[in-house]
Amino acid sequence: MAPSRAGPTAEELDQRKIVGINPETVTDTTNTDFPGHYPGEDHSWDLERFRNGFQIEFHHNDPFDASFSLIGVDASIANAFRRILIADIPTLAIESVFITDNTSVIQDEVLAHRLGLIPFKGNQDGLKNFLRFWKKPEPGVEPTLYDFNTVMLSLNVECTHNPKASEDEEDPTKLYNHAHVYAKDIQFHPVGRQKKYFSGEGAIAPVHPDILIAKMRPGQAIELTMHMHKGVGSDHAKFSPVATASYRLMPTITITQPILGKDAEKFAKCFPKGVIGLEKVSRKEAAQKGSGYEGHEGELKAVVKDPMRDTVSRECLRHAEFQGKVRLGRRRDHFIFSIESTGQWNSDDLFLESVVKLKEKCAKLEKQVINMAR
Amino acid sequence: MAPRSTRKKAVEEAPMEEEPTSHQPTAEDEDASMADADVDQEDGEEANPEDEEEEEDEEVQRVRILPGSTPTAASFEFLEEGHTLGNALRYIVMQNPDVEFCAYAIPHPSEAKMNVRIQTYEGTTAIQALEKGLRDLQELCDVVTDKFTVARDEFSNRMAA
Amino acid sequence: MSREQYQIPTTGGQGDFSGGQTSRAIEQAPTGPMFYTCGDCAVKVPLEKGAPIRCQKCGARVLYKERTKRMVQFEAR
Repeated sequence: MAPSRAGPTAEELDQRKIVGINPETVTDTTNTDFPGHYPGEDHSWDLERFRNGFQIEFHHNDPFDASFSLIGVDASIANAFRRILIADIPTLAIESVFITDNTSVIQDEVLAHRLGLIPFKGNQDGLKNFLRFWKKPEPGVEPTLYDFNTVMLSLNVECTHNPKASEDEEDPTKLYNHAHVYAKDIQFHPVGRQKKYFSGEGAIAPVHPDILIAKMRPGQAIELTMHMHKGVGSDHAKFSPVATASYRLMPTITITQPILGKDAEKFAKCFPKGVIGLEKVSRKEAAQKGSGYEGHEGELKAVVKDPMRDTVSRECLRHAEFQGKVRLGRRRDHFIFSIESTGQWNSDDLFLESVVKLKEKCAKLEKQVINMAR
Repeated sequence: MAPRSTRKKAVEEAPMEEEPTSHQPTAEDEDASMADADVDQEDGEEANPEDEEEEEDEEVQRVRILPGSTPTAASFEFLEEGHTLGNALRYIVMQNPDVEFCAYAIPHPSEAKMNVRIQTYEGTTAIQALEKGLRDLQELCDVVTDKFTVARDEFSNRMAA
Repeated sequence: MSREQYQIPTTGGQGDFSGGQTSRAIEQAPTGPMFYTCGDCAVKVPLEKGAPIRCQKCGARVLYKERTKRMVQFEAR
């Protein structure tokens, strides 16, 4: 649609933002808001225009599960935030495991791997500001483990017979003591200034105390010490602070021709509950000539109620009765984020941290570019 | 799973690793790099790592201009960057009306290198466009942070009410 | 012959490691008899050097060595 002399209408502008979803194809996927693409229009970067057009709407904000919409930003920026959430935010996790005794059936390396994947929580200020990264020294150089870069944990469990168990007991957790080794059996040993930051509620502890680590039988024991360090998800997935962080684009459903009666009910069934509502055709609508409602007063018509609940299965495009009556699409600049944290950070703090990290990246590179240009 | 990366040498390094974190409160004979006094040790350790970190940050140059570039048409190579910054930076630089061409590429996924090519019309140089792009991206992040905090607080108030 | 001949590992600081640690690790185990686990009856059998290899309780001749007391380090990856 070529814009008229007077510039694009609101409808045209809106249409530009929609990705078309068709039975077999997806159209208009790329953003066209670049200077020079539409002659006569100015799309150059303007902070004020961005600020006015940018909105954030929260859907829910539980500590470890947040969902909100970013509206008015480009896919490359939203994706940058998502990638940083997954890969670039420092988290504390077990890195070195020193095994003095492991007579369980879980092999040393498997046990160490499982321990590394256990998520831990602790005092936010201590984790974010006090603890720092640790770089492994070259072999031969002295180790540089201090209270501000290493957290010490230990796990000492021994499985023994339980003399108080009844004769015909079959459950191993009752027959033996410590048959199952859980994450809650891990003990935290604060050192130096860690006692100040990580004490009481803020102590370093597993997010889920009932994660099963190993199973043992009498005579077996596990005795090990662990060192935790800060790391990023790009190094190893155990350092990723999110179970996952994802976004989807806001779906749009446009009913171009009225869908009435039985068709409306069938139409509503093509979508998840709550997406399509059924309303009665009012007398006023039926009176409008050419609207398609003539003679259908009182019947139920399909109305789009809540497109956000739609999962865009395109089911309605499969039925002949809806051909030409409905258009599906997604809004290219409306991102519905979902951030599920593993428990070390709060989801909303994670997103803020991700934005800050992107800014830090740019700031550091800007310095380097100036350096390079000299 | 590569065994060589998981298993360390059993004997020689083993006792050393355990001790250092717990060694601060108690004086160890071997790791004599630190003086004895416990409280002083912790304060002293603060100074050294910070100095080391600052020096290292300045040393490594992570951006360079690739050969064959002219003032208005230049290719840059970023180290340790990928699509995260590349795509975002490309979008922002393209919003600059003085930029004729902007694209990014990752030569090989095994190497953490990213190339950005910027060609400008007369009137500005490629490096100026790059700097402007980085600045604009930082401003964008500020706007996002501000709006997010406002929206989050408003939502909490609305939910609490 | 090659310039660096194979050197027999000696106790007491050969450069890289702080001397005290290495020697402590390779010296003889301070406690006396080693315990082995019987294959049939799983009882711990103390055995000296040169002693005949038999379980005291059941007479089985298959004895398993116990896990080392030395500490082993792993990366949790």
